[in-house]
Amino acid sequence: MCDCDGCEQMMQPYLDKALTEPQRLEAEAHLDECSYCRKRYRFEETLRVYVRQAAVEEPMPPELKERLAALRTPLI
Amino acid sequence: MGTALLVSPEVSDTGSDTAARRAASEARDRVRFEEDALALSDQVYRVARHMVGSREEAEDLVQETYARAFRSWRTFQAGTNLRAWLLRILTNLNIDRGRKQQRTPETQPLEEGDYFLYNRLEEAVGDGGGPAAEEQVIERLSQDDIVSALAAVPHDFRDVIVLVDLGDFSYQDAAQILDIPIGTVMSRLHRGRRVLKRELAETAMEAD
Repeated sequence: MCDCDGCEQMMQPYLDKALTEPQRLEAEAHLDECSYCRKRYRFEETLRVYVRQAAVEEPMPPELKERLAALRTPLI
Repeated sequence: MGTALLVSPEVSDTGSDTAARRAASEARDRVRFEEDALALSDQVYRVARHMVGSREEAEDLVQETYARAFRSWRTFQAGTNLRAWLLRILTNLNIDRGRKQQRTPETQPLEEGDYFLYNRLEEAVGDGGGPAAEEQVIERLSQDDIVSALAAVPHDFRDVIVLVDLGDFSYQDAAQILDIPIGTVMSRLHRGRRVLKRELAETAMEAD
């Protein structure tokens, strides 16, 4: 089983589902035992959702949409 | 395309029928292409908005992207990823506009690990172990904190974060859009997320 440093190294690939099966099992075995790492994994997962939400909240200006539509080839 | 059809007089009616049908079919394809492309404009704008510094620049860039896309729509292969195709144009235009290439970040030292932000915020919350500690911790970050921290990440890293984490592109698509190897996408993403967390820690601490 990995230690906390090893678990920290595996956090991003774990959440990206990019670990190999043995690595994933190793990380999960550690997470089952270690609330310190578990909290940090959960935080990272929530953070990604937060970042995504924060970044998408500014909508495209409607005038830009109109300008783009005006670029279309006119139908003859 | 561009090749004149030599039609003998006795078959000229059939020839012009064919040409008319071809033109009509091409017009339909073009209309469909333009509609499909416009339906993606919110997503294209969102990527642009976080790739460049200001809203005005993002708007100009998106407009230029669509102008070019509509001109060269014939080079798009139907059935392939139109969103990725549009963003490839956008990325190229952005580079043409003289965005400075940053070569340093790949070698920039990054001592903080992935737990760094949590640890910093947990210290600030002053709670060691309550069951909802991580929620309390994340609530310290506002939307503005996140947007300005993202803007502070060097653009080579930010582009990858914007495409993969915000735009849901695969590593493969991001590699194609940015014209970099897939391994570079992965390493920039990994380091970029760490840089983002370092920026977030600074932003959140400044807000106190």
